Amino acid sequence: MTLQEIITKLDLKVLTTPQDFSAITPRGGYASDLLSCVMAGAQPDNVWVTLQAHMNVVAVASLREVSVVIITEGAQPEADVITRANEQGVILLSTSAPSYEIIGRLWEMGIQ
Amino acid sequence: MSSTLQETQGRKGRPITDNDAQDITRIEELSYDLRIFEVMSREVFTLAPNQTIRDGLELLRIKRISGAPVVENGDLVGVISTEDLMRALTQNDLKSPIRTYMSANVISVKSYEPVVKALETFARTNVGRLPVTNEHDQLVGMITKGDITRGVLVAIRKDYQEEEIRRYRVRHLFEDITSDRTSLILRYHIKPRDFINGGQASSHIKRAMLRLGASAQLARQCGIAVYEAEMNLIIHTTNGGILRVQIEPHRILMQTTDDGPGIPDVNKALQPGWSTAPQEARNMGFGAGMGLVNIKSCVDKMEIFSGAGKGTRLMMEIHLRPEEKFSAAEGTEEPGI
Amino acid sequence: MPLRLRHNNRKQVNYMKLSEIIKHVQGTVLNPEVQTDAEIIGGCGADLMSDVLAVVKPEAVLLTGLCNLQVVRTAEMADVRAIVFLRGKQPMPEMVELATQKGIPLISSQRGMFECCGRLYCSGLRSFETNMNGSHE
Repeated sequence: MTLQEIITKLDLKVLTTPQDFSAITPRGGYASDLLSCVMAGAQPDNVWVTLQAHMNVVAVASLREVSVVIITEGAQPEADVITRANEQGVILLSTSAPSYEIIGRLWEMGIQ
Repeated sequence: MSSTLQETQGRKGRPITDNDAQDITRIEELSYDLRIFEVMSREVFTLAPNQTIRDGLELLRIKRISGAPVVENGDLVGVISTEDLMRALTQNDLKSPIRTYMSANVISVKSYEPVVKALETFARTNVGRLPVTNEHDQLVGMITKGDITRGVLVAIRKDYQEEEIRRYRVRHLFEDITSDRTSLILRYHIKPRDFINGGQASSHIKRAMLRLGASAQLARQCGIAVYEAEMNLIIHTTNGGILRVQIEPHRILMQTTDDGPGIPDVNKALQPGWSTAPQEARNMGFGAGMGLVNIKSCVDKMEIFSGAGKGTRLMMEIHLRPEEKFSAAEGTEEPGI
Repeated sequence: MPLRLRHNNRKQVNYMKLSEIIKHVQGTVLNPEVQTDAEIIGGCGADLMSDVLAVVKPEAVLLTGLCNLQVVRTAEMADVRAIVFLRGKQPMPEMVELATQKGIPLISSQRGMFECCGRLYCSGLRSFETNMNGSHE
């Protein structure tokens, strides 16, 4: 399952600069709103689902080499967060759907 | 014993609902709380050991019972059951004394023991009725499973009525008191950084609302609003603050006041996601900058008065819809008593 | 079929028995004296309590990686039916006591948020949060 397919199926909004998402294949997912848990538990190339939208999300994602973050519940990151994400190579996607639903649908697609 | 009750309920094919489950727990409680003397039958038909088998048969037939205790000088000396009498019948021994056929080895329970003791004895021995004796081993009554069921039902009904009466009284608080403006004020001191007790005041407020007859939805709205406000006092204030709820027949006013440090830019504080909360609060799952946003969505009117170096006053107001009004006579139910 | 239909104000509502949810998350009930036969209408996965207070609807199960007294308080305020603590988090005795007092079952699962939400969603337990753009299924 490529990131492009995920974006299309879940109708995600791309916040960072668009790129060839069909070349990216995420491996597994991680969900938490607690940055300390993500620091401890997320695996590289995971899709991280969270409703947090502040600067530290980008910092943690880049530290853990999590390249894709889905921000849920319509939380809107500030412009400088998006700029930093672009600099650090973190893809930020957003949706108005709640985390539970996004996780469920990812699981359904085989991202496990 | 608890599991037996649950299983029997479950096997009847009907899934156990919340209400059932509450009742089951109460029945379990009651089987420990209720004493045997509270549910036993005091009208006991006894036989004397020197009466005849024929007398025994007559007693069982007339009183439509399946056994009787045998008493001599007030002391319980045995029991005679239909089975024992049948044995005498097959021997054609109607004239023999009861003593010959009775079981002298009597299983009995004490009147001061909890009902659960009788239930256990029923389950263990397979007998249908048990003699009840007092502390001097004198027969004072008989107990059957039917007596227990009746006793428990009466107790539950009493519980229910007491709760209903209490609710009824509270619910009609506003109607019973005549004044130009009646309000009930709940006031709580909230200590700074008291994360352990955080939410306790809100819990009390929510319960008070429900007691007053508020709908679950209204109680939830108020609960969420005051809980966020309470957590704000705990997280942000220097010296804590006061949470005050004023319940009136047609509206609810909720207010927090503190003496600092104050919010420098109130508009910014109202933005979703904006927060100055320390890590401690974030670790507790708060301080995500959603508190005021949440409050706003729960109340009809919200106002904040603050400034850097000043105290903060947060005012929240919920207007009650006509059917939610605490004094609306048409909306209040009469208790079933 | 794990999902049943319940008639609620003439509207059909999907729900799952809490006992089934416990199986799906391979959870342990921490306060067995609270009955676990509740009917759960939906799921909500979140670690921020303000978020829970903002979006969760009554009669939902809350799956969370956070483990402190405020989680129980939040559940009480928002009428959450049951709490699943993820990644094997064990609540303190005072949390269990408060939850028992409020009749809220506490469940502990070794699994993480992603796996639990994923499995429950695929077993038919839908999201039970207010969608922030207002369009809730």
